[in-house]
This record gives sequence, C-alpha cells and structure tokens, in this order.
Amino acid sequence: MNRSQHRITTEFWWSLAFLAAIALVPLAVSNPYWLGVLIVSMYFALLAVGWNLLAGYTGQFSLAPACFAMIGAYTTGLLAYHLKVAPWLGIPAAIFVAAVIGMTLGRIVMRLRGPYLALTTLSFAEIMRLVIGNSYEFTRGDLGLNVPGLFEARLAYYYLFLAVLVAVQAGLYVLMRSKAGLYLQAIRDDEVAAASRGVDVVFWKTAAFTLSAAASGLAGALYGHFSQLVSPELGLLLQTGLVICMVVIGGIGSLIGPLVGAFLVYVSSEMLREVGGIQLIVFSLLVIIFARFFREGLWGLAKRVLQRRTA
Amino acid sequence: MLNVDLLINGLIIGLFYALMAVGLTLIFGILRVINFAHGEFYMVGAYTYTFAALKLGTGPWFALPLAFAAGALVGWLAERTLMRPLYTGYTSWGLMRDEYSVVVTFALSLLLINLVDKVVGPYSQRGPALVDIPRMALGPIMLSGQKLVATAVAAAMIAGLALFIRYSSWGRQIRAVAQNRLGASLAGIDTTRASSLVFTLSGALAALSGALLAPIINASPDVGAFPAIKSYVIVVLGGMGSMPGSVVASLMLGVLESFGAVYISYDYRDTFGLVILMLVLIFRPQGLFGEKGREV
Repeated sequence: MNRSQHRITTEFWWSLAFLAAIALVPLAVSNPYWLGVLIVSMYFALLAVGWNLLAGYTGQFSLAPACFAMIGAYTTGLLAYHLKVAPWLGIPAAIFVAAVIGMTLGRIVMRLRGPYLALTTLSFAEIMRLVIGNSYEFTRGDLGLNVPGLFEARLAYYYLFLAVLVAVQAGLYVLMRSKAGLYLQAIRDDEVAAASRGVDVVFWKTAAFTLSAAASGLAGALYGHFSQLVSPELGLLLQTGLVICMVVIGGIGSLIGPLVGAFLVYVSSEMLREVGGIQLIVFSLLVIIFARFFREGLWGLAKRVLQRRTA
Repeated sequence: MLNVDLLINGLIIGLFYALMAVGLTLIFGILRVINFAHGEFYMVGAYTYTFAALKLGTGPWFALPLAFAAGALVGWLAERTLMRPLYTGYTSWGLMRDEYSVVVTFALSLLLINLVDKVVGPYSQRGPALVDIPRMALGPIMLSGQKLVATAVAAAMIAGLALFIRYSSWGRQIRAVAQNRLGASLAGIDTTRASSLVFTLSGALAALSGALLAPIINASPDVGAFPAIKSYVIVVLGGMGSMPGSVVASLMLGVLESFGAVYISYDYRDTFGLVILMLVLIFRPQGLFGEKGREV
C-alpha cells in the first residue's frame, strides 16, 4: 500500500467512526427538532462530499453544487407532482438527470480553469434558478412544489440519510483508492503533466463532474422528500457558499474533512441562530482564516496534533 | 419612439454597469483573479451614501465623496489582508492560487452581506435624490432629474479614470503591471503598490455607483448581487482585462437588456447576460474585443 492509499484508508476509517457516532445520537436525543437539524446536516454532508470530489480531489472549482441539488429535487418533485410517479422511481430519475446535466456541463467547461470555470458554473447555476423560478405554469415558480414524504417517522429519514451517506462515502473511498483516484489528483496537481503521462484528462474530468452532480442530485431529491417542499431557494448561491464553508473549514481534499465540516457548520449554525443570527458572519470569517493560514482545514490541524503525539 | 426611449435608457443603464465593471476589469487585468466580493463594494457605497445623507445630515452632495472614500477603504483593506499573499512569494499552495482567490473573495462577500444585515438590519433603505427635479420628457425620452445627474457623474468618472490610466504616471504603472508583472518589477515599478492602488480604485468606483443608484435601487444587504453578476458578464464579454472593451460591453449589455425585456421576455431579462457569458467563455474566451490568444 503506497502512502496516498494509506492516508485515504486512515481518513476513511476515521470517517466511519464518526458516522457510527452519528448513528448512536438518536439514543440520547429524541427531540424532533434536533433530529431534523442532523438530517439537514447529512444533506449538506452529501453535497460537501460530492463537491470535494470535484474541487478538492480534481481541482475543478465549480460554483454549482447547490444547483445540482435543486435539479435533483425538482426532477423527483415534478415527476411526483405532474405524473404521480412514486419516490422510489423519482429518486433514481433525479440521480440520472443530475448526472446527465453534470456530464454535459463538465464537457462544456472542459477547457476552462480557475476564475473562468467559477464564472461559467456560477452563470449556469443562476440561469437554472431563474428559469425554474420563472416557469410558473410548470414549476409553480417561487411558491415551490409540494412533494409526498417517504415515511411518517423522523427516525426513518435519519437512518435513510445516514445509510446513503455511508454508501456514498464507501463509494468515494473505493474510487479514490483505485487508479482513478490517482488520475484525478494528478489532474488537479498538473493537468498537462498528467496528460503527458497518459491520463485521459477529458474522460476523468467529465467523470468527476458527473459523479459529483449525481451525488448532489441524490442529496437534493432526498431533501425534497424529507421537507416535502421543493423551491428554487435550494439553488441559491448562498447554499453553495455554505457548502464551500463546510469543505474549507473541515479540510478540503480529504475524505473526512468535508463530512465533519458539514455537521460542525450546520449544527453550530443552528446554535448560533439562537444567539442572534451571527452564524454566517462567524463562518465566512473562519473560511477566510482557514483559507489564508490553515489550508488543510480542521482535519489538517487534527492530523498535526495526532502526529506530534505519536512522534 | 419607444425604440429611441429604450435605446437611451439602455445606454444609461449601461453607463452605470460600466462604472461597476471597470474596477473588476482592472483587478482582473493586474491580478488575473475575479473578485467575487465586488457587489459588496457597491453595497457599502449605497449604505454609506444613504446613512451619511439621512442620519448624519451631510446632504447628498457631500455623502457622495464619503461613499467613494468608504469603498476605497474597503477595497484597500481587501487587497492588503487577503490578496497580498497571492504575489508575495507563497510558492507551496496547498489550495491552489486561483482557487484561493475564489474561496476568499466569495467568503468576503458572505461576510460583508451578513455583517451589514446584522448591524443595519435587512430592511431596504432609499437614498435621497441628488437633485429635486421630477420626471420630465426630453423629446421622446422620459427621464428623472436624478437619473440625468447621476448619468453625468458616472460619465465624468469613467472619462476621468480613462485619462488617469492613460496619462498619469500611476496609470502607466498599472498598465505596465497588467502587461507583464515580472517585466514591470524589473523596470523598477512597485507592483505591490500598483495592485493596492487598483483594488482601492475598484472599491471606490463600485461604491460610487452604489451611491449614485441608491435613490433608484434601494440599499439592502444583498443589493450588490445583481450589479456584480452584470459586471462578471461585462468583464467576460469585453475581454477579461480590457478597459475600453468593458465599457463598450457595458453599453451593449444595457441596450440588449432594455430591448430584450420588451421584445423577448420580461421575466427572463436577467438570464440574457448570463447566457451570453457562458457562450462567450466557451466559444470565444478572449472576449468580443479581447486580445488574440489570451491564455485561458
């Protein structure tokens, strides 16, 4: 096992331990409000993990993760609203539609880098949101769509989200341990050098866009059925901003950082809301500080402490 | 007659877009980064103007330079604290250079919006008009006195900036750094000071357009999002980093939107520019008037 694989394996086991702890939380907490907060945290964790695959591992800073969640939510929402399609068909359809749109976007922005890529994906996200918000006849615009729920009990949603999160995390682990993981990271570090060593840059970049969009679409579809209301607000840039906060604070480019970051940011934002709505001030400040001084995020800091212990 | 009115109003809107976009263009030209907090410089200007004029009672004509100064201060601070590591020899970037600027300016935008939201409140505030002349008809065109005066100020500022960049010593230095950072520093130009100057100017101009439009578009914490997105479109359309290009692109976008809203679709008027932005970036990344072969 080489060093990169060893690192990813360590991160994976830590993240499973973290998720196991999350699985035990309902034993201690039965308050439906806090269970809801944790479910939304898991929604954001799915988005963060998906965005991290694209931004952290492949180096493609897309500003559209929330947009793909909105696409996923609207796919299953519109199917249920207009055609009375059951959720167990609607959710796979949402993954499929988000993946296809993600693949198309990935192909379109193939040659763009850095600020150009950020601007193109930002415009794409804004266009989608404006189109969905303005197509009143089809989507009911800003009023949003009522979507059927999946279960009666909050706890059932809780374990559904958790199971999906574990599955996505395991899938990502397998992907990143395989050669594909090395290809993606090679593209991030130096695209031209990767291509010169025989990495199929076009294929792997498209694959990263597709998988990331599929994960976001799945997250959005599940969230739609959980909240039973789908609205264009899911695709607000602010939501993308939150996802970026979570990944950067947790530790970009690691398997566990975005996951922990999502829970930490969302749960503490619910706590700070009671203090008086200062959550976004705190997080944006933290992101600036982390991006400026601790580029490996909280996970990087934790690792440093752990290493000092063992050394 | 309607068409003449649409054309003139489109050009006027375009002029305000230009005042916003030239700052963004200058920053891109000199640092090759997009400042995602540009709209918040606009918002700072709109609030400074409104509060100075209404709460401090300075009168609108004194509040205007105050807004300019506030924007300059925010721009200067942003460069000093966040942008400087980009070019003072950080070689080992864990997070890559381009991505650092995206993340940091995006976070700065969130920070400023929410700070203002918390301190001032989420309610929108109308700024006082510069002059008290009601809407009147100039031939076929309907214009308010405020719009006329604000247009004149905006046009004067853009002309002044163009002269400054073209003829002054600092302006020449900025152009030299934009052309070739290393070459400029070898020729003895303080590139760090030039970058700082560009950010300060950019903040000041965005804030000024916020102040000029405050009587027309009420100041609110997220008021900057809309003009910022327009400026991204313009900067891309005009060829990233080209000042004359961005002025022409601003006027074009203003006219396009004013006609599009009437003849194509009012609901989708805000998507026209974004669609153009995507098309230009994909098919003609050097912009409509940009240099040939600019690196993407």
